[in-house]
Amino acid sequence: MIGWTASFGEIIKFSTRVVVDVFDGRVFRFFGETLRQAGILILGSAIVIWGLAFILGLQCGIEGAYFSRSVGAPSNAGTFAAWCDLREIMPYAFGYMMSAKVGTGLVAEIGAMRISDEIAEVSAGGYFVIFWMFQNPPDLLFSLIKGMAMATVIVLVGCYYGYTASGGPVGVGTATAKSMVLNTVLVHVVGMLGTQIFWGSNPRAPIGG
Amino acid sequence: MVRAVADRAFLPTKGLLQQVGEMMILTGKTLVSAVRPPYPYGNEFVQQFLFMLRLCWLPLTVSMLAVSYGAPGLQAGNFLVLFGAIDRLGGFFVLASIREFAPNVTAIILAGVGGTAITADLGARKIREELDALQVLGVDPIKNLVVPRFLALMIVTGLFNLYAICFGITGGVLATLSFDAPLGPFFATLLNNASIPDLWGSVVKTTMFGAIIAVVSCYKGMTASGGAEGVGRAVNQAVVIEFLGIFAFNYVFTQTLLATHPEISVIK
Repeated sequence: MIGWTASFGEIIKFSTRVVVDVFDGRVFRFFGETLRQAGILILGSAIVIWGLAFILGLQCGIEGAYFSRSVGAPSNAGTFAAWCDLREIMPYAFGYMMSAKVGTGLVAEIGAMRISDEIAEVSAGGYFVIFWMFQNPPDLLFSLIKGMAMATVIVLVGCYYGYTASGGPVGVGTATAKSMVLNTVLVHVVGMLGTQIFWGSNPRAPIGG
Repeated sequence: MVRAVADRAFLPTKGLLQQVGEMMILTGKTLVSAVRPPYPYGNEFVQQFLFMLRLCWLPLTVSMLAVSYGAPGLQAGNFLVLFGAIDRLGGFFVLASIREFAPNVTAIILAGVGGTAITADLGARKIREELDALQVLGVDPIKNLVVPRFLALMIVTGLFNLYAICFGITGGVLATLSFDAPLGPFFATLLNNASIPDLWGSVVKTTMFGAIIAVVSCYKGMTASGGAEGVGRAVNQAVVIEFLGIFAFNYVFTQTLLATHPEISVIK
């Protein structure tokens, strides 16, 4: 428990440093690297994320159709699916795949660099700025904010564990596993907080009146 | 030119199919050596079982409470408030929590927390050449390392599912309270809609998820290679394959269950 709390504090410290680095503009010196990383992320992860999103959307549509029929409003299955997909499932699908593919990938890569002493002081901010660059009506916006918040958290956690990896190849593996533990929990918590903050108990939908 | 394009498109696909095939072979070998005597894996099984329990209970509790309060609780509650039928939230939780969210979140946590730990552990042994040493000593790594993990993960995932359902319903209770609605109708519709096929379907599904997680993690751990990046990359790939496998299997299973048990898809 003490170990977890200590590393949580370390993560906060590390994140603050990264955020400061991003906002004082120093990261733009590594703009080429930032674009390269974005390209790698898009090429490597887009298909997997779409695949997962598609399967989850299917699931959501089926259950939504049954459920809206049961409350006597089968024609509103679309409403249900829209909420389910846009507000909840897509951010989660995105968050899961981000943490699985990108988060652990970052730990593995940065950790390996660290072990082989390639980096002494590298700016992890390069990874961070792209999520704010590539994100540009309110539900879609909220959904994007949720996804972005998850991505930010995941990338920071991933960078932290990669950055502090030690103990040879085994250490990198352990760090990857540890980052995944924290990431899965944080994805769910961020999702819940987002729902509570953006929608709460206020439906805001054009039905009835 | 054509050749280069074909290579670029088909070589990754071929690699993928090959890996899937090797995982199937590993599954077959594991099943055979699990039932064929001798049975030396008892201690390792208990150890892995307790290890998974210790590792996963806290992340699972937090995640399940958060998910079921947010997604099915608040959003479906909003949907129902529009129709003036917030008392139906309990009925929805049978569908949401028991059939979908509890198994999925359990599998995500077990894959993300337990599966990665298994891959990291086996990958480390592979890199240190301990697995080769075992084989030289005449100890079968499948029987002594894979089988106990396979069985432990199957059982632990199935049991954790029940635990997750409890916390899922707690999340639903919290959401109902946040709508200022009474709890009586929530539990009334919940118990009215809960059916036996839903419950065993949920447990069977998560047990299968556990099997998928165990096989993929063990396969990726045992085939880890390359220097410092090798184990990390193995963990990364294992988690991605597990997530895709879990959700693909979930879709097939749910469709089959709904088609073979039409009575559970009618919400009373």
